[in-house]
Amino acid sequence: MTGDERIRLEGVHLNVGRKRIALRSAAMHYWRHAPETWATSLAAVRDLGLSMVETYIPWGVHENADGTFDFGATDPRKDLGRFLEEAEAAGLYVFVRPGPHINAELTYFGLPERVVRDPEVQARTPRGNAVTLYFPPRMFPVPSHASERYFDQVDAWFEALAPVLAPHVWPEGPVVLLQIDNELGYFFRNGPFCQDYHPDAVAQWHGYLEERHGSREAAGAAHGRRYGTWADAEPPTHFDLDALDPATTTESAIHRALCRQLDWARFQERLLAQALGRFGRGLARVGLDRLPTVHNLSLGDGGLPVSPPELEAHVDLVGFDYYHPAASDTRALSAIRRRTLYLAGTFGAGYAPELGVGAPPWFTPLTPEDSITAALAAMAYGLRGFNLYMGVDRDRWYGAPIDAQGRTRPVADEWRRVLEACASLGLAEATREAKVALLWPREYARLSRATHLLGLASPATMEAIGAEPTAACRPDSFGFADVIQWDWFDVLMRVAAALRAANVPYVFVDSEAPLARYASYDVLFAPCYEFANVPRLARLEAAAAAGTHVVMGPRKPMLDDRLMPLDSVALPAVVAVDPGTVQELVHEWIDRFDLARPYPALGVDTAVHRDAEGRDVALFLINEGPARQAEVRVPAGRAWSVARDVRTDETFEGDVLHVPMRAHQVRLFALEGPSAEPGTEGAS
Amino acid sequence: MISADVRFGGFDGPSWARLLSLFQPARTEGEDLLVVFRPAHTHEGAAEAGERVIVSALLRGAGRYPALIGKPLPPLRELAAQLGVRRILALEVGAMEELAERVGAAVDVTDDYLTQVLTVLRVAGELRSEGRIRPWPDPLRGVPLPSPAAVRRVLDLVLPDDRAAIVGLWERSGERRLWTAFVCRRRGGAIDLVAGPDVVHRTAGPLGGDWRRDYRVLVDAVERTVAPVHLGVFTEAETLARLLREGTAGAWAREVAVRNVVLRPAPPPVLAALGADALRGVGKASAKALGGIDFGRLALGLGRAARARFLEGRSVSEILGFDPMLALAAFLGRPPNEGEDPPDE
Repeated sequence: MTGDERIRLEGVHLNVGRKRIALRSAAMHYWRHAPETWATSLAAVRDLGLSMVETYIPWGVHENADGTFDFGATDPRKDLGRFLEEAEAAGLYVFVRPGPHINAELTYFGLPERVVRDPEVQARTPRGNAVTLYFPPRMFPVPSHASERYFDQVDAWFEALAPVLAPHVWPEGPVVLLQIDNELGYFFRNGPFCQDYHPDAVAQWHGYLEERHGSREAAGAAHGRRYGTWADAEPPTHFDLDALDPATTTESAIHRALCRQLDWARFQERLLAQALGRFGRGLARVGLDRLPTVHNLSLGDGGLPVSPPELEAHVDLVGFDYYHPAASDTRALSAIRRRTLYLAGTFGAGYAPELGVGAPPWFTPLTPEDSITAALAAMAYGLRGFNLYMGVDRDRWYGAPIDAQGRTRPVADEWRRVLEACASLGLAEATREAKVALLWPREYARLSRATHLLGLASPATMEAIGAEPTAACRPDSFGFADVIQWDWFDVLMRVAAALRAANVPYVFVDSEAPLARYASYDVLFAPCYEFANVPRLARLEAAAAAGTHVVMGPRKPMLDDRLMPLDSVALPAVVAVDPGTVQELVHEWIDRFDLARPYPALGVDTAVHRDAEGRDVALFLINEGPARQAEVRVPAGRAWSVARDVRTDETFEGDVLHVPMRAHQVRLFALEGPSAEPGTEGAS
Repeated sequence: MISADVRFGGFDGPSWARLLSLFQPARTEGEDLLVVFRPAHTHEGAAEAGERVIVSALLRGAGRYPALIGKPLPPLRELAAQLGVRRILALEVGAMEELAERVGAAVDVTDDYLTQVLTVLRVAGELRSEGRIRPWPDPLRGVPLPSPAAVRRVLDLVLPDDRAAIVGLWERSGERRLWTAFVCRRRGGAIDLVAGPDVVHRTAGPLGGDWRRDYRVLVDAVERTVAPVHLGVFTEAETLARLLREGTAGAWAREVAVRNVVLRPAPPPVLAALGADALRGVGKASAKALGGIDFGRLALGLGRAARARFLEGRSVSEILGFDPMLALAAFLGRPPNEGEDPPDE
């Protein structure tokens, strides 16, 4: 294969041969529409200003009751090949998502009924019951991401799909991007002891313990138990430290018991990552390995049993799904800020495989303004690519800009304007400069999950409904100075709030991200307590050696994350963090590193984006509160004269922009025109 | 009762949000508090310990509420008054895991969704009876959980197979447009279609602006595109929102009598319920309070209802064991301190 025939993902751009395209698309589900409407709908997608259409490919729809597959031979709606040809004829690239799990509001989440009813496939609770997902229109037992039988069935699906899909992969056809599976997270049943106790999962648990501790005996010693055989190393089914008598239990014994719980929390992440790898290898085996791959994580990522950086071993790009009532709920805007800054810091650029345009009927209602506001807020903080989900309306959905017959709705004009602005401002290439990174400490997030008290109302669920993912953690300190499972999140949010108040751009970087993502900042703040993950300490040490100012605190780590004594590591400075010192800390950073505080504003947040030449090209105003007006001070030596709202064409000029705002509003301004004369005042 | 292949469509964002807004419980001031507590137990060699709070959190972004941690769990009514919170959900530690286990053992994948939901509610009810899940306030306390068969019998009365039901709601002011609409169809024993105003807009053309006439256009449109209409409910959005929350005896009958609500067509069990509502209203209020009602029309409805009850055997409320409209009103709008709440302990 020559370079001209290769597809490569670079940030959130696809290099398709010699052509570079932004990762912006809209979703359409071919099987839910009459083929006669496909061309009209595809043309409407293209006319939104997009060059790519996305579709799921539903296993449960294509598989017949007798186990054969229909790709259009019987039902023309299932003619995937014809749909791909029509997309190509419409001048669109195609992003495909063949599952195996797709949700898509399909009954059984797009899996065949025979698969979900197979007891060997089903995930298991601690008592061996099936794990039931409560979504309409049918509750069903979810599959185990460890079940060998499930993997075999999935392989058969991929084998059936490949002959239909592979001939349409670029350059022979329009398919340029592939998503593997969907919203990893145990099908929303991701409390610490919800699952998975399937025999194949338990076998993987034993393998994980051996890998982590070196041997069965060492695993037993780490857990304070005697594992005569692997059968003795049962996974924890509840948080069993309650059974320890505090009067007679040593701190070491508490830590041994806690280590087992932490191992289980870590293992749950590992299990999902390995499943993603299995699916990926299955797709490669059937010849679909030329396509760049992505994966999407659901809302509530702050509490999910997933380490996003770990997934990068199996897919090229990890993104988040966005479904936020952003125009009506302050918490939604703050959630978008937190999530997008995490993507920007952890992956370099943010991508949303599902940016909700409308919603399923059983979800939080979203208005058209909610969707556009969510998109603008996410772009403000670094979202660079997205898939509008849905572009074309369909069964079990409402609110898409194109109706099920391919006709545009009034809101389509709003999206067209936003998408035009993305293209004309070069937002996919633009940068929001941040010199401060806050480390998202995965080992403490794991402790929070392990100590969560609400079972199936998991930390991810708590976060998705607007509460903190750590809100329902038990209050024990386990012999440490702090209640770490609460404190890390509070500390991180306090530092973030201080930076935000000082108008200093920052990002979150996952502690398991590679060193290259740590080391490009002037300042790196890492929450740290008496135990810590050794590789991340080594990365912090390397970042400090490379010139990054690393601040850790409030405690100095003495133990590793197996709660064993830590070998000496050259630790960077440890700073005590409390609400008082956080402000001082941030101002020290500002002074010491001359941190930029671009476009300070009263009452609202701002985010400025620069092009490759360093020119300010886009300014976002984000109103998370009730402010009715923003007063934005703009830099004197600016290379633009007019700030134009890309949705309304309203313009503002001067050294201070007085911009009317609504509560929960986000405005995007194109910074245009030649430099203004210094000292100009006022607004149009 | 809900088809596995149920189709949903025909709503845009605003029309769906409007429909849902009718069923949002009334907003009251204050936060929602979550409490997880440890059950009373006897430690070996120690005195019996009462229920103790392990963790408490305010759910609307305010985070943990540590002041309660480690303290005895007070009666929830007192706790709500003390903290000024509007709702409390108290859970015994492990209750959610127990719920998941029991549901996992009880839910049958072959059952339809309503039966599955009733199974989950039954399990949740068990845990509530055991004191392991405690909501406060608990407006549905005392409302018996109907069996799937009872719900099916009600559905048979209100919406037989191969028939549709429609609710059309208009703006009261401004351009007096169709505010939202909801259409459902039953086929093969289950609801197989839920649709929004697009169903009407696609075939009805522009409406005249007087909803008391335009409702016929909606019925025609649904009959042409969906199925013969068995039940139609038409009114202004504000009227329905009020009625859903009012729960006052005679309120529905009064609005139907003065044509603020049009029921057309209306199956006999619905008229029976309306007649019973009117009688309750007469019993509770004075004749003066119901002045102006067209009793002749109501009597006609009652006559039909009596025949229907004779034919069908039992009314909707009798089959379910409770009045669904009163239960809904209690859920949507009743303030938590009205004195009718039974104590939570």
